[in-house]
Amino acid sequence: MLTVPTATATETRANHTFEALLWALSRPGMPRDIASDAEAAIIDALIDRECKVYCADPVLMPLILKTGAFLSDPTTADHAFLGKLIDVNVLESLRAGSDLYPDDGATVVANAQIGTGQLLRLSGPGVDGSLQINIDGLPQGFWAKRADCLRYPMGFDIFLIDGARVIGLPRSTQIEVL
Amino acid sequence: MSLKTLTRDWEPMSYGFLDASAKRELRRKMLKAVAVPGCQMPYASREVPMARGWGTGGLQVSLTLINPKTCVKVIDQGADDSVNAASIRSFLAKVSGAPTTLDTLKADLIQSRHRIPEEVLREDQVLVLQVPNPEPLRSVQPNMSIARQMHADADYGRMWLQLYEQIVRSGRIMQGASYPSMVNGRHVMTPSPIPRWDVPKLNMAKHLTILSAGREKRIFAVPPYTRVEPLVFDDVPYKVEDHAKLTCNRSGARGFFMNEIPQEDGSSTHEISDSEYGVKAIRRTEGDDIVLGDTWYKNGEMSS
Repeated sequence: MLTVPTATATETRANHTFEALLWALSRPGMPRDIASDAEAAIIDALIDRECKVYCADPVLMPLILKTGAFLSDPTTADHAFLGKLIDVNVLESLRAGSDLYPDDGATVVANAQIGTGQLLRLSGPGVDGSLQINIDGLPQGFWAKRADCLRYPMGFDIFLIDGARVIGLPRSTQIEVL
Repeated sequence: MSLKTLTRDWEPMSYGFLDASAKRELRRKMLKAVAVPGCQMPYASREVPMARGWGTGGLQVSLTLINPKTCVKVIDQGADDSVNAASIRSFLAKVSGAPTTLDTLKADLIQSRHRIPEEVLREDQVLVLQVPNPEPLRSVQPNMSIARQMHADADYGRMWLQLYEQIVRSGRIMQGASYPSMVNGRHVMTPSPIPRWDVPKLNMAKHLTILSAGREKRIFAVPPYTRVEPLVFDDVPYKVEDHAKLTCNRSGARGFFMNEIPQEDGSSTHEISDSEYGVKAIRRTEGDDIVLGDTWYKNGEMSS
């Protein structure tokens, strides 16, 4: 008789992290709690040796190396960990996929502060009507650059991390700077 | 770095049956599917102990999402007790230890074949639909590379032509299940073989829907509050099945999607397709303390 397998700590953490990411991405702009070491948890849940990763944050590098992922530059990476973003031009070089294969677009993880700073209005799939949110800690011109780089369904999807909170901004979300 | 840090303890079976790398691949693809609503994303589709075509796609999504606290409901054509639904439900419970339920209101994760429950799904619920044929263009373009190009170009003229031909030949649109629907104004998807009755339930819904085809290795999603519009002509309105005035002969429920039960004398009676809703309605008339949830259809009319 089969005994029910028990969830290991690693599995439980990855499951919870993914649940938070999926929830955040399907409800853009609504913060969701995630592990306190959010980026490490995301690496555990998503990254393995099938991934190409660009990492700008030296703190995360050992974790990424441990997963066995290929390190690559932003133009070929399918996951980009940007840490605290300083130069918006990195967005231009990120992989956006193609009209044939929009899933080749990158997943971007960056740090920001949620609840202060620039007021944004979000609309699109996952948002009931429209939603306003303040986001700080991103370089000047970030939102304009994002809009320039996206040509739906081509584009990249952003997770913004603030401590133990995450918000998801898929390429389908329209962001208006107020 | 030692070997110990690179390996994990031996386990007789991974939690939730799928190994960690299969789950990571599914997670990455599910995120992309949510980011581009209605667009079919290819994925690896691993082996599960069930024949392809029997819900392996939905099963893999459920196995990735499940944890010991997830309350699972599985339905097949609306029924919780059909062989396919019962087997998938017991398998999910066996490999995850998750509690199971028949009640739509108590479920966190609902895996379904060919129906969406009659009770309105909440924001915290996830609906997983099993999809036999994820390509809405297949009947008009069997070559999947060309079909992919047509999706890239949003070239859906032939879909409209197919619907037009049905009207010309038969006087009405003959497409019963898998009614092609435009998601977020960009990608046409098949909503899996749910009846026309169920398609409006996906439009601007509160819940997340993930559609997964195991045999065809494609996954796509409808996030909450996303437009899902069945393809219709301006002068030929979308029509759901004519079930609004039918009454279930067992539960007395009226104005829901019904199964037709042929009788020996050539007539037919009807039975509600969402079996647990019928059971709850019967128990309530018998005086049990049962909560019937808010339904999408009220008196046979879709409430928007």
